[in-house]
Amino acid sequence: MPVLSHRRSHRFAVFAALTALALFSLLLALGAGSVPVAPAELWAALRGEAAGVGGPVVLELRLPRALSAFVTGGLLALAGCLTQVLLRNPLADPYILGISGGAATAALLGIAAGLGGAWLSGCAFAGALLSMFLVFGLARGRGGWTSTGLLLTGVVVAAGWGALISLLLAIGPEQSLRGMLFWLMGDLGQARGWGFGAALLLAGLAAALALARSLNLLARGEVQASVLGVAVTPLRLALFFLASLLTAAAVTIAGSVGFVGLVVPHLLRLIVGGDHRLLLPAAALGGGSFLVLADTLARTVIAPQQLPVGVLSALIGVPLFLFLLRRHGSGA
Amino acid sequence: MRTMTSAVERLAAAVLAALLAALSPARAEIGVTDDLGRRVVLARPAQRIVSLAPHATELLFAAGAGDKVVAAVDYSDYPPPARRLPRIGSFASIDLERLLALRPDLVVAWQSGNGAGTIERLERLGLTVYVTESHRLEQIAADIERLGELAGTGPAAARAAEAFRAKLAALAARYGGQRPVRVFYQVWNQPLTTVNGEQIISQVLSLCGGRNVFAELPALAPTVDVEAVLAADPEAIIASGMDLSRPEWLDDWRRWPQLQAVRRGNLLFVPPDLLQRHSPRILDGAESVCRQLERVRAKDAP
Repeated sequence: MPVLSHRRSHRFAVFAALTALALFSLLLALGAGSVPVAPAELWAALRGEAAGVGGPVVLELRLPRALSAFVTGGLLALAGCLTQVLLRNPLADPYILGISGGAATAALLGIAAGLGGAWLSGCAFAGALLSMFLVFGLARGRGGWTSTGLLLTGVVVAAGWGALISLLLAIGPEQSLRGMLFWLMGDLGQARGWGFGAALLLAGLAAALALARSLNLLARGEVQASVLGVAVTPLRLALFFLASLLTAAAVTIAGSVGFVGLVVPHLLRLIVGGDHRLLLPAAALGGGSFLVLADTLARTVIAPQQLPVGVLSALIGVPLFLFLLRRHGSGA
Repeated sequence: MRTMTSAVERLAAAVLAALLAALSPARAEIGVTDDLGRRVVLARPAQRIVSLAPHATELLFAAGAGDKVVAAVDYSDYPPPARRLPRIGSFASIDLERLLALRPDLVVAWQSGNGAGTIERLERLGLTVYVTESHRLEQIAADIERLGELAGTGPAAARAAEAFRAKLAALAARYGGQRPVRVFYQVWNQPLTTVNGEQIISQVLSLCGGRNVFAELPALAPTVDVEAVLAADPEAIIASGMDLSRPEWLDDWRRWPQLQAVRRGNLLFVPPDLLQRHSPRILDGAESVCRQLERVRAKDAP
């Protein structure tokens, strides 16, 4: 933690850097691809004045995809921060409570039935909500709302979804297998509905920031938090529903992109510290930029062939995280 | 001296006779080489054949061995009598017990569908396996001939193979020299999947004077993005979809009037069974592709 007098300028520097990173990643995503678009043309395209194929490529292909990536990454990183506090477990990621499993099962059923587009997104969102209420109901039945009870219920429900996913992969029609695998790995090629996700991200961030002080206390321990006046059980419920909704929105946009929700919160905790008033917006910005960069690589690294973004996010994230972990010691 | 010579001669004659006797069944043996270069040998023509892939079933019927096929896998729907065959699973997962219970004397497999592991397992179980794995159209005729030999229906198979080759030559003669048309072949939309130059569909395109715009990619069935298709700007897009109906997603391309294929109304459809199966019907698919590309060229004239 920096000294009090430096805090404000440190905060400013962190946000300036993260905002610059976000802008850089988005510009890179808009500029890179199979159709060459010069910087001048890019500017013209963004103002809707480009001639030729460059304009529509930038506005209709790259821009929605980059924004989808940003929103998905932001949602996942934010949900990851909240889940890690909720479960008081550094290994927790937004998928641990079965939200993505429910979404995946429903989405794979949709793919097997030949659905696409908005129907598929609808399936995924419905599956995520179903899983959320299932875990909520079952965990409450176990008597009280303990972290352990919630974690175990979520993990077991997730395992159940995992079995159904394997079943669907084993008996699903041959032509849909590749689509199913891409969904499971997380793919922004078919991303849609980023506007809805962006609204949810902003609302979720605002709600999480309102809880940030209580989160700081809860992160130190339940007893301490309740002594200091935090209503622990309602806070946990709020965290559970907020994290679940954010995760549901993310998997609805891009499938189950792994790694972002687990590692981006840790990464930023190493950089900005554990104060959630700072960490939450930093995670949203950082997660968004991270996924935009990963997706830009996924579609250009062996272009014109495409990789699912989930592959790249893990390939970049693992060494990056290990590097930072070594530099900062094991204090994650 | 004389008697001794005759004794030696008699001995030699006896040895020769014994040798001939030992060799004679070998002469009746049938041996062919399959698509992987493996030697497949049968003591007598196969009477109980199991097909492990839809295209293998079609090859067997084309070779005149349809009435010797005792079981097949899912989607073996052509020719119509094949639909009544008992099923032993899908090509990706075969019910081995049911297969063994049928006591087949020949199994016709498909390397890239059944997998090398399954084929090896079948051989260890003592089954005789003929493996199909065609990457070129010419191989389909060769497969028909060899399966005919194994099934003892050589003459019928030879006629079918000859007809296939003649039709192939006729298509090549008529369309091969026409103006090249750049084609994007779309296998599927989510994810956007195509084929490279190694794939048999790409050979069908060349046969018709088409050029696969993604022929150079290293993967057999690469995933590409819309932007790559825009950059390649094909004159025609051919899609196959799932069944006999034209896939709805083919019309998604209309969002991109920048594409020549869209501007000139060249969003074409060929049923998948006619192009994606390595069976004799692929030439029906080729004929459809050739005719449609011919119409694409006809639009050249003002």
